[in-house]
Amino acid sequence: MELLRPDSAEAAAAALGNGSVALAGGTELVPLLRDGIVRAEKLVELRDVVPRGVDGTRIGAGTTLAELEVDPDIPQALREACSLAASPQLRSMSTLGGNLLQATRCWYWRLNFPCYLHGGDTCHAKAGQHREHAIFGNERCASAHPSDPAAALLALGARLRTTSREFSLVDLYRLPTDEERNVTALEPGEVILELDVPRPEASVYLKAMERRKWSFAIVGVAAARFADSIRLGLAGVAPIPWALSSVADLEQATPLLGTAYKVQIARALVRRAVEAVSAPAGA
Amino acid sequence: MVVELTINGNAYELEAPVGRTLAEVLRLDLGLTGTKIACGEGHCGACTVQLDGVPVLSCITLVHTVGDREVTTIEGLREHPLVEAFVEADATQCGFCTPGQIVTASALLAANASPSDDEIRHAMAGNLCRCGTYPKIERAIHTVAGDGGGS
Ligand SMILES: Cc1cc2nc3c(=O)[nH]c(=O)nc-3n(C[C@H](O)[C@H](O)[C@H](O)COP(=O)(O)OP(=O)(O)OC[C@H]3O[C@@H](n4cnc5c(N)ncnc54)[C@H](O)[C@@H]3O)c2cc1C
Ligand code: SF4
Ligand code: FES
Ligand code: FES
Repeated sequence: MELLRPDSAEAAAAALGNGSVALAGGTELVPLLRDGIVRAEKLVELRDVVPRGVDGTRIGAGTTLAELEVDPDIPQALREACSLAASPQLRSMSTLGGNLLQATRCWYWRLNFPCYLHGGDTCHAKAGQHREHAIFGNERCASAHPSDPAAALLALGARLRTTSREFSLVDLYRLPTDEERNVTALEPGEVILELDVPRPEASVYLKAMERRKWSFAIVGVAAARFADSIRLGLAGVAPIPWALSSVADLEQATPLLGTAYKVQIARALVRRAVEAVSAPAGA
Repeated sequence: MVVELTINGNAYELEAPVGRTLAEVLRLDLGLTGTKIACGEGHCGACTVQLDGVPVLSCITLVHTVGDREVTTIEGLREHPLVEAFVEADATQCGFCTPGQIVTASALLAANASPSDDEIRHAMAGNLCRCGTYPKIERAIHTVAGDGGGS
């Protein structure tokens, strides 16, 4: 394996593809490389070429979750999502861009079972252990997207700027299909540079976990209010970060035997989150 | 590929493949075995070292990405008052997590000389102890904070 240190984001993008993989904080990529789930001939180091820091509504993709969890100028939902994600050491290493592109924690996938998401034709989790898995979008692959920040950014209506285009965060994700098993729509030669995160009137992130700290979301719910409308983004409920328009949308859930409990948790968290961001009566 | 490192104030230069982690270099190439590898995948904190004073996980840090950041390992914290405080508070049982605990706690105290219980729990959450010494670790940190340590 080789390590490339490009001197601009454009040079990094040009170097990607064909066995070259982008490396940011490495918290996701290094274990996957070691386990042979991701293969790379070259690593392209992004640390010095992707923007880092917050400037108005713009957040560099190289900003770490640790920097964001203490930033008073970003919306509360994103700050809380970063603060509740992973562990302190991981937050100091993890970039926001890498967080949005993290892969599923489904243990069958991580143990390299030839499952649907790896290109096979069955979902081992559905027939096996799936307590942590999805309640939406789980027809083929039932994995649950683990990103807390992505749920917050979805509720906030964030947009991404990459080396080749600008688009809404919603369009970064897609459910896996028979043709395309990947859950993100980033091109091989594309580097995420920054996010534009609108300022809501109020926002919040609530996360149900097995323990109070340092745990993946069973369900994470972000709510953001802009004028009279409230948008919701959920973590841990579908193979991709999942948008809902109201608590009523939870009636459309398609839980597995082992994930039915998540619907109830989601219902409670959505109610609480909506209440937390709603304008006080009479105001 | 050649890598240059500053570890606990000492300069090192060595040859390491791109996939080599900082933890492997510390333990296997340099014999600095105070840093432990338990899970090897970012879950437990046993491998915690500081880069420019910030606790990170050396088991998932590729050594070639350290750059000019200064590495501090448990060997560099021998004289830190936390070491004595951990012993006094009986905050180590099997001891495997202890180097990582002290590396993280010393960064906490450097940033915040008298952390509250909540601040300690937030900062220490990434260091698991399967022997369950958590209350004693908290006590040890408070002891050092109380006698003005953390400088
Ligand atoms: C044990 C553990 C627990 C965790 N718990 C949580 C949790 O509770 N909540 C949560 O939200 N997350 C959690 N995470 C995920 C963690 O936050 C991510 O691993 C991290 O944010 C990834 O960022 P990175 O900079 O380390 O990315 P890397 O590992 O360097 O990269 C990840 C992927 O993104 C690509 N990439 C990175 N940056 C860019 C860019 N700018 N443009 C294009 N491609 C890019 C890489 O090629 C790679 O495919 C956990 C991770 C671990 C290991
Ligand atoms: S949930 Fe998805 S990743 Fe997990 S076994 Fe099923 S297809 Fe594979
Ligand atoms: S050994 Fe590095 S986190 Fe467990
Ligand atoms: S003392 Fe045994 S793991 Fe902490």
